[in-house]
Amino acid sequence: MTSEESTEATAPTATLDGTIWAEVDRALSGITATAERGVLDVIVHVPPAEIVRALKALKADATLNFDYLRSLTAVDNEDEGIDVVYHLYSTTAKHNLTVKATLPTDNLHIDTATVVWRAANWLERETAEMFGVRFTGHPDPRTLLMPEDMDDTFPLRKDHPLAEIEILQGEGMGYSDEEDQ
Amino acid sequence: MVTESAHEFETQDLLLNVGPQHPSTHGVFRMVMQVDGEVVRDIIPYIGYLHRGAEKLCETMDYRQGIGFMDRTEYLAAMNAELSYVMAVEKLAELEVPDRAQWIRMILVELNRLASHLMFMGAFGIDVGVFGTPFIYAWREREAIIDLFEEISGDRMMYAYLRPGGLAWDVPTNFVARTREVLTAVRQGIADFDGLLTKNEIFVARTQGIGYISAADAIDFGMSGPSIRASGVPLDVRREEPYLKYDEIKWDVITEQDGDVYARYLCRLGEMHESVKIVEQCLERLQPGAIMPEKMPRMLRTPPGEVYIRTEAPRGEFGVYMVSKGGNRPYRLKVRSACLSNLQALKHMSVGQYVADAIIVLGSIDIVLSEVDR
Amino acid sequence: MPEGLFGLNPWLDGLIRLLLIVGLMTVVAMGLIYIERKVLGRFHARVGPQRTGPFGLLQSVADALKLIGKEDLRPRNADPWTFEFGPYMVFIPIFLGFVVQPFMAGFNVRVLDLGILYFVAVSSVSIVGWVMAGWGSDNRYAMIGGMRAAAQAISYELPFVLSLLSVSMLTGTLNINQIVEGQAVVPNIVWQPLAFVIFFIAALAELNRPPFDIPVGESEVVGGPFVEYSGIRWSMFFLGEYASLFIMSVLISALFLGGYVWPFGTELGVGFQLVLTVIKAALLIFLIIWVRASVPRLRIDQLMGYAWKILLPLSLAQVLINGFVLTYHLPMPVLTVVGFGGIFLLSWLTERAIRKPRAARASAIALQSEAAS
Repeated sequence: MTSEESTEATAPTATLDGTIWAEVDRALSGITATAERGVLDVIVHVPPAEIVRALKALKADATLNFDYLRSLTAVDNEDEGIDVVYHLYSTTAKHNLTVKATLPTDNLHIDTATVVWRAANWLERETAEMFGVRFTGHPDPRTLLMPEDMDDTFPLRKDHPLAEIEILQGEGMGYSDEEDQ
Repeated sequence: MVTESAHEFETQDLLLNVGPQHPSTHGVFRMVMQVDGEVVRDIIPYIGYLHRGAEKLCETMDYRQGIGFMDRTEYLAAMNAELSYVMAVEKLAELEVPDRAQWIRMILVELNRLASHLMFMGAFGIDVGVFGTPFIYAWREREAIIDLFEEISGDRMMYAYLRPGGLAWDVPTNFVARTREVLTAVRQGIADFDGLLTKNEIFVARTQGIGYISAADAIDFGMSGPSIRASGVPLDVRREEPYLKYDEIKWDVITEQDGDVYARYLCRLGEMHESVKIVEQCLERLQPGAIMPEKMPRMLRTPPGEVYIRTEAPRGEFGVYMVSKGGNRPYRLKVRSACLSNLQALKHMSVGQYVADAIIVLGSIDIVLSEVDR
Repeated sequence: MPEGLFGLNPWLDGLIRLLLIVGLMTVVAMGLIYIERKVLGRFHARVGPQRTGPFGLLQSVADALKLIGKEDLRPRNADPWTFEFGPYMVFIPIFLGFVVQPFMAGFNVRVLDLGILYFVAVSSVSIVGWVMAGWGSDNRYAMIGGMRAAAQAISYELPFVLSLLSVSMLTGTLNINQIVEGQAVVPNIVWQPLAFVIFFIAALAELNRPPFDIPVGESEVVGGPFVEYSGIRWSMFFLGEYASLFIMSVLISALFLGGYVWPFGTELGVGFQLVLTVIKAALLIFLIIWVRASVPRLRIDQLMGYAWKILLPLSLAQVLINGFVLTYHLPMPVLTVVGFGGIFLLSWLTERAIRKPRAARASAIALQSEAAS
């Protein structure tokens, strides 16, 4: 299974009719962005180098007006890199958008979004300490939830074991997909 | 009086540690305040004392085991936390929840909101200085609600009662009558608090004008819940993106314009009234029926996909971002915590006020550390 | 107690009286702690102590035994002299204040002609103890609490003294027993209602009772100056607080409510006089506990602003009016009418003061933008 989020087999652009993708595409002119239809909203993929430009454009656009950053996190897709995911919302126009930037495993640097919304501050700190993503330009890159001296372990990565027992036994926690409960 | 006088001599700022153990921090939370006399210049919060790795653990739990985790993520509003999680699973697996389960879920979620706001009233009373009276009153009414929850789910606080698709089991036969009893008790409790605190001159003097945040700043910080509605922003997930049956009954979004601590208190008080209204309307519409879809697989598997579901928890927008790659457990579960985003604005709201006020501002954001730290 | 009751030797006599004071005050304070816990419990919709002894009566004894048995701790960097003498400086003046309390006719420990002056002077000394405790503890919270306590005591000293003065102006004497006996027909509260209200508020502040307990703000500085104390030293503070609560109630009942004289006159037997005094003191203590259960605490700047800007001018006005009435031999009911007018004025000014914080928003915005830049 690939990590594509669309569950439909039709071409992505067809399912984007009637969504805000048209306005988003216009706002993100000049940035190579691709989109797909998620379960509840549109997911826009942006190259990591352009992310702050894209976010600023989305916030500044008059019709879109994404003034509210709902959530900022990351997903570890192992070999395919780490996706940094931004969930945006507009309090005036009442629509949602998901923006993703995929970082390759050998270059986990991305610009900070705190220049766009102050809400990104702690959310980026948490993402940085959990996944090892470096947000360049972050005003306060300390650990948030992790102890200060553990800033080189990244617990939410897939290659980080859940507990000591996994290292000892070399397997999962004992739950298998075939169990019928 | 937040006036400043020119110092003719060198003074040094005091670093005051409001330590992890403190009666007012509502959990294990530490903040270092830089204080000039009694005026706060800077606040540096330290969180993470209650971090239990819920997100990582849920990656190893299937969709039924994860529900218990969500309870513990926000133990004061556990029904809301469970609701976000099961709604996310239902969206991914495209499950249709029967009506009866929806109405019962609404009742439980609103009762939980009442219990959580009552807890806020009690703890806030302690912060402001009435050491004991509001706290015990709050607990009296919470006992009524929690006893009802114990009758339904078997647990007073960590219910694990909602399931993807509906409920674990049906409610007891006297549910409607019992809920009406609880509502009577709660109405009296809300009236007690109203009488004790709302017009109490010292309470008003301590909370008005304190901890102000403007609407624009609140949106920029990503605040949610009563903390942002008190600044005049009518942002309520139940109204913007209705889930369950919120679009089928009449209720109001409570907003206040002042944006200070007193406005947040009034906002929560108003929300308690609204919750009572909502529960009453739900009780009228409750019909007998199924509480789970007919064809539920024994081991729930979701197709690949991702979804971000948000619900209106008592503290704000509780979001669950779930990525599934097929299988019976989430590939990534992110809990968007309302308290974490609200807590970011603490420094902004407290700078320039007195130490005593900073404590009150912290109390008014109504944080629950287990949600902040997960 | 008449002079030389217990033998001719004045030193022995003095020593016995001292021991009587100490014993009595300790018992009274312990009883008051129990009463407060029970009454406060009832206000809180709960019961209070109920298991130690019948109706929980032995709770205070149990607490006292526990406190005595605790280890005597001292922080390493605490200044030894100030830390260790702080508690003494707090409770010795309170016990000294007991000397002039009029429980029965002629049966005071000492009847002093300058009773009120003595009481005010002696009770003010305890503040030095608070500051010593605060500074000597080598703890920032303690220091903040000590400073707050000193600021509060100084601010409320003036309305306190001025309302006492307005009462003694009526009788023309500072001798507390004579003031009590001057109330044979009408208690002073009828002539001086405003002074009573101001004195009650100022007494709450001097006692550091809610709503004026910011130095011991339990939810912020967690015990204020006493946060580093444990065991016997802490119990000295605690005892001192409840002993002074009792003394203040007796004083208020003596000065304003007629003490042991009103309404039955001076012919009443000594035992009944004592009971009467205790009943009146009990009413006031109940009122003080009720206030504790009902109101949040004031912030330090609000508290001081209240004292300096509202209570002080009104108590000065009361003294002025007293002088006016007494010099020009106006009828006494003028005082009552003006007094009640003064109470209305006080409540109106208090209401108005609460509406003022609106201005804080503008300055808060200014400070926020300055901090964000």
